[in-house]
Amino acid sequence: MTNHRVVITGLGAFSACGAGAETLWMAARDGHSGARDVDFDRIPEQKVTRAAAVSDALLATHAVHVRPRMQDRVSKFALIAAEEAVQQADLGGQSLGEDVGVVVGSGFGGADTLDQNYWKFSRQEGERMDPLCIPKIMTNAAASWISMTYGATGPAYCNSTACSSASQSIGLAFHMVRAGIMRACITGGTEACVVPGVFRAWEYLRVLSPTSCRPFSRDRNGMMLGEGAGILVIETLGSARNRGVEIIAEIVGYGTSSDAGDLLRPDPTGAAVSMTNAMADAGLAVADIGYVNAHGTATVANDSSEAEAMQAVFGDAFGDLAVSSTKPVHGHALGAAGALEAIVTLGALRDQLAPPNLNFTELDPKVGFEPVIGAARPIDTRYALSNSFAFGGINASLIFGPPPV
Amino acid sequence: MRNDVVDIQQLENDLLDLVAEEAMVDRAVLTREARLEELNIASADFVMILMAIEEKFGVYISVDNELTDLETVQDLLGLAAKKITENDG
Repeated sequence: MTNHRVVITGLGAFSACGAGAETLWMAARDGHSGARDVDFDRIPEQKVTRAAAVSDALLATHAVHVRPRMQDRVSKFALIAAEEAVQQADLGGQSLGEDVGVVVGSGFGGADTLDQNYWKFSRQEGERMDPLCIPKIMTNAAASWISMTYGATGPAYCNSTACSSASQSIGLAFHMVRAGIMRACITGGTEACVVPGVFRAWEYLRVLSPTSCRPFSRDRNGMMLGEGAGILVIETLGSARNRGVEIIAEIVGYGTSSDAGDLLRPDPTGAAVSMTNAMADAGLAVADIGYVNAHGTATVANDSSEAEAMQAVFGDAFGDLAVSSTKPVHGHALGAAGALEAIVTLGALRDQLAPPNLNFTELDPKVGFEPVIGAARPIDTRYALSNSFAFGGINASLIFGPPPV
Repeated sequence: MRNDVVDIQQLENDLLDLVAEEAMVDRAVLTREARLEELNIASADFVMILMAIEEKFGVYISVDNELTDLETVQDLLGLAAKKITENDG
């Protein structure tokens, strides 16, 4: 069996930074954060107030393929991003058929519907629940709405592995297209988690920063929640050339691993194996990688573990490597994170600019390196890597390269 | 000055009670010199302790480098007292 080369022909993004893959990339490149204050009536004496939350107005402005009363925000986000990606790939206005699949992950699924209806059910006696709760909440709803909207009747998967959901979805889709199981795939992740119940639950875990999201900085004290959707259209190189569509980039490697250790505490070995596997999959050496978009949540545990893993993997090449976490810009979008960050990584590769890691103030001896700080830094590289590491010890790394000539 | 000392002592005693309850450690073995590791106080217990501090003192403390560097009960009391009084100020 011959492996196909797999290329990206469409991108779509929707987040607190706005609509559009290019909008997201420019926000990351220029260090313009989409963070804002969020105020939930239901959280008394709310201590954490910052999130990269999508406003109702932003959603209303960009919503497409809306089916009233049938879709949670999480599906609406996904459809906005999918529409952009499908249009760019020149696949709009047709039924895509059985050789096109959908692999779109999510962590929480329809969190807003769940949150609102459980609140009604538990607090307001006699109040009726939304009879369509179940189809709106189910985690695979977004994947199904995308397949229905575009008539993609090939394989449909919804990968739910917390913060690795989207990276694993893209990786799985890449391997399936490469193996010839489908010709093309709409893939990525979506999350709509900035709702009172989910926000308060994250606060209780003590991993949200009460001040500022500072990845890799000594004074980091937690992450900032984000939300949104990132979607990629990927297909075989042969398919893209037959269709004469512009190729954005090539997916060259995917690695994944499980710590099989602690549910919450990350293991640098698992993260290192994920990156090493991705490089082996791509047939690349560490010196070939010129930029890493780090998972970089700004929690104490992730950033020291990820730094240790990168140092182990890159060795002597680590000193020259440009590394940044762009989570202060788009927030930690959980099940959408890997897709939004893949889009940022693709922007970095195209423009040969490593975006800045905002809010870094001080080198942490336990981290042992400085990310790209201040402004975007010029890079000269053909390949860039993006990491996602999830609670549950599930790690995923993707490597992107230039369009094949 | 005298009042401040008393307040800090009172605060630390309150915190010791809170740690004993939330980390499910016998109050009698919870001496200031005791090492957290030996008392089997792990990260999940910290989450419970920090939640109780928020409920009792109205202070949100997230996990940061200072918190992960703690070794003894005294370290924990000192840091918690510092963060609580900082918040008051």
